[in-house]
Amino acid sequence: MSALSSPKLVCPAGSLPALRAAVDAGADAVYVGFRDATNARNFAGLNFGDTQLREGLAYVRRHGRELLVAINTYAQGGQTRQWQRAVDAAAELGADAVIIADVGLLDYAHRVHPQLRLHLSVQGSATNPAAIRLAHECFGIRRAVLPRVLTLAQVQQVIAQTEVEIEVFGFGSLCVMVEGRCILSSYATGASPNTAGVCSPASAVRWHDVNGHTEARLSGVLIDRYAPGDPAGYPTLCKGRFEVAGDTYYALEEPTSLNTLAILPELIRAGVAAIKVEGRQRSPAYVAGVTATLRAALDAAARPGYSVKRSWDTALANVSEGHQQTLGAYSRPWR
Amino acid sequence: MTRQPWMRLAALLPEAPPSHAAAAALNLARRRLWPEEPFDWLIGRRLRFEVAGPDRGVTLTFDGERFVASRDAADCRFIASLADYLHLARRSEDPDTLFFQRRLRIEGDVELGLQLKNLLDATDWHKLHPVIS
Repeated sequence: MSALSSPKLVCPAGSLPALRAAVDAGADAVYVGFRDATNARNFAGLNFGDTQLREGLAYVRRHGRELLVAINTYAQGGQTRQWQRAVDAAAELGADAVIIADVGLLDYAHRVHPQLRLHLSVQGSATNPAAIRLAHECFGIRRAVLPRVLTLAQVQQVIAQTEVEIEVFGFGSLCVMVEGRCILSSYATGASPNTAGVCSPASAVRWHDVNGHTEARLSGVLIDRYAPGDPAGYPTLCKGRFEVAGDTYYALEEPTSLNTLAILPELIRAGVAAIKVEGRQRSPAYVAGVTATLRAALDAAARPGYSVKRSWDTALANVSEGHQQTLGAYSRPWR
Repeated sequence: MTRQPWMRLAALLPEAPPSHAAAAALNLARRRLWPEEPFDWLIGRRLRFEVAGPDRGVTLTFDGERFVASRDAADCRFIASLADYLHLARRSEDPDTLFFQRRLRIEGDVELGLQLKNLLDATDWHKLHPVIS
């Protein structure tokens, strides 16, 4: 049996109960965000205030796990101090690492808090060893989260050519994955995940029932109409159905979730340091279920004779967006 | 949806008693569950929890100090079956999952609804045990 260590399981938390659920279900690390635009899940009522953060850190410490703080949006002109203060706050808290995308902010964190462990966010969009090496040389990053656009073979190649730990996504909703550069939401709402920390802000979303059909609108723009029984997705432009050349369909992409259960042994053999679950906007019930499933699968994948249990697939399928799961870019058999 | 006998009965009942009961229960639990939450986002706004089928529900608002029942049209409506409300209360189902599966509808001011959803997700229900035990 290979002596490779099992990847760390990195799970999301948008609230203290979700953090506890992640720890209780076997997460090695939990990632969280502050209650502002410095993180990419800046939704009303979500995320951590000072008190919750301290309680969360204490809980994580008590169980020997890690707390990561995502400061993964891009500092906006004239407001860079807000992002820097977020880094200061994470350092003062004693977070195990901060997850940063913005190069200027990485530079700040590296200079002002040299002891603070830095992870290059998926939104940093580093897809090749040279980019990761540069971030390591310039800012001392210790881990890079790979964008969800690489095949399994490309992930293997990146890991073979870098000294920096590599984290990949293991489960969660997919989007168009223009990591760190997507401003599609801005066209309809004026806010995007990378600038305001929010894709399709709730204030712009309206659902309306018309004879059993649910219309989803974003700033008044009709982006989908669900017939009775149709699965719904998040109300984002990239997952809308639009009329193109007389045909109405998912013109950009169908709502889909990434599910890597089938390739966990390959990811482990490739030397992936950590596997991340998407979904800080989801409830403690989601975090508990997905974390427990990935924990069981990762433990099993580290032993010989691994196969995906039907109960794992069912558990993940139940909470998936769009009732469709995929290996995403990991599998590109036509390449 | 097939209307079961209890739904036909529920549809005949007034909404005021359960709305007042819900407001009273929330006022009892508020300081314990949400000591730091000012609920300023609910002042003058009305949230309605509607049970699909009998189309009955409770509508609540916050007057700055207390939760109160309201008869006015809601700014945001949650619509789900009674069974799914219970799943959500027990945290055995995830609200986004119920939304994906069309079992939970949110109509009106979605931001108001999201604020509530996230508050409930962040609520430490264990703090309530001393009250109900």
